[in-house]
Amino acid sequence: MQNAKDTFYIALRCRLATVNPARTMILRSVTRPGILVSEAEAPAPQPLLDAFALSWTGLQADLQMPAILAEMTCAIDYCTAGTQTNAGLDRGRALEEMDYEVLKLLYPYSTQKMNYTVSPAVAMETMVFWSEPEFGPVIALRDCLIRTAKVRVFAFQELGEQ
Amino acid sequence: MRAYFAPVDRVHRQATLFDPSVNGRFSTNAPPAPWVDLGWIENFTRKSTSRFGELVTGTPGATQFQVRETVDATVALRFKAWSKLSMALAAGSQHMNLIAPAAGGAANGSGSKGVPPVNLTTGSTATFLALAASDAAGFPAGSLVTVDADYAGQTGFVGSGVYAAYVNSASAVNNDPDYIRRVSFNVARVAASSSTGLQLAQPLIAGAPAATMRVQPISGFVDREGGSFFQEWSALFVIDGQQGERILFHYPRLQSMAGPAEAATAMAPPLERLALSATFRALPVTDANDGEQIVCFRTFLPSPVTLI
Repeated sequence: MQNAKDTFYIALRCRLATVNPARTMILRSVTRPGILVSEAEAPAPQPLLDAFALSWTGLQADLQMPAILAEMTCAIDYCTAGTQTNAGLDRGRALEEMDYEVLKLLYPYSTQKMNYTVSPAVAMETMVFWSEPEFGPVIALRDCLIRTAKVRVFAFQELGEQ
Repeated sequence: MRAYFAPVDRVHRQATLFDPSVNGRFSTNAPPAPWVDLGWIENFTRKSTSRFGELVTGTPGATQFQVRETVDATVALRFKAWSKLSMALAAGSQHMNLIAPAAGGAANGSGSKGVPPVNLTTGSTATFLALAASDAAGFPAGSLVTVDADYAGQTGFVGSGVYAAYVNSASAVNNDPDYIRRVSFNVARVAASSSTGLQLAQPLIAGAPAATMRVQPISGFVDREGGSFFQEWSALFVIDGQQGERILFHYPRLQSMAGPAEAATAMAPPLERLALSATFRALPVTDANDGEQIVCFRTFLPSPVTLI
């Protein structure tokens, strides 16, 4: 299932670089597209503003298929305080922009499964595919607006895959 | 519940009989030959439609005896996985392989005239097709093939391994030399292609191919609502209990009694899973132990702790 998780993240990261090249973040002194996997970064007391954070939560498996079909829930958390130029008064617009980007990042709802543990990455046999996002309510926390979109990600466990 | 398939010898009307006293405890992932795993099924429902009559005597009348007027049963299920076998059985009638089309062929709903087949060389097995290097190059890894004899004007049941169709006359099938390969169950995916031939990802259902068989590339399968042929198969359904007990339902002869249909199960919007719906009528065989006409055998293998 790790290959499916890696594939989903890299697919969204590549799409983000196209959808909104300006959405970048500096993490560990590196400027990169504004999307990260929470479990692969150091714990942080505050969410990173204006970036997408993926968290893997639920897991189910259908064992009655020719190969195990894993269903993982991915929570995409994002948070914005608007821009300093506008004193944060544009935070609603900034959140709407991120909502729209989530929709653009997720479509089309599938991608070729890849093995990124080897270099160069190797294409696997099956596709990773996922549902439409399920947007949660907006939460206002001090000067920030926060939203979580949940996506159910599906992938077949291939022969010999860990 | 797991389902297993075995062919019926339509010419001699011989079903494949499963003997639970010999193979009842087989591994569900390695069924004994010639049974073929059809994967998991769902919504299995079986129904006895046998009719009973009463012999009433006396005044007032009272039933003194019962007679079994008809023996009949139906089975309905959904195949969770799509495959050549499950699709063909669910569809009921002839099930076509989509042979790679020749250039300029007239369009046809079940596929147009195919590219010319290639010959086998010596040394083929159920999982390896020996071909000339130039022929093998036309079948890359991952492609699908159908392997069967040329149609040469014969009538009756045709198809290797499983009788796939019944030919009334050569003219009915346009005397098409590819007709048997078009309906054949003897299909496989190519795992690897080399200069000596094709390594198959799964064994051919007819076993090692005869030297007269030929190979054509296919791209998929098509079935039809309609058709005059009834697929017939021997079926075995297995339920394993949590304590080690096992229940087996063996229908030696099943024929489809409904056209192609699917059932959608929601996964997460917009995703759905489509299962193949199938309904079958059970046909009888004779139990060699007592000569009775039987359409289904139900077997219970108790667990080591079951009181009997």
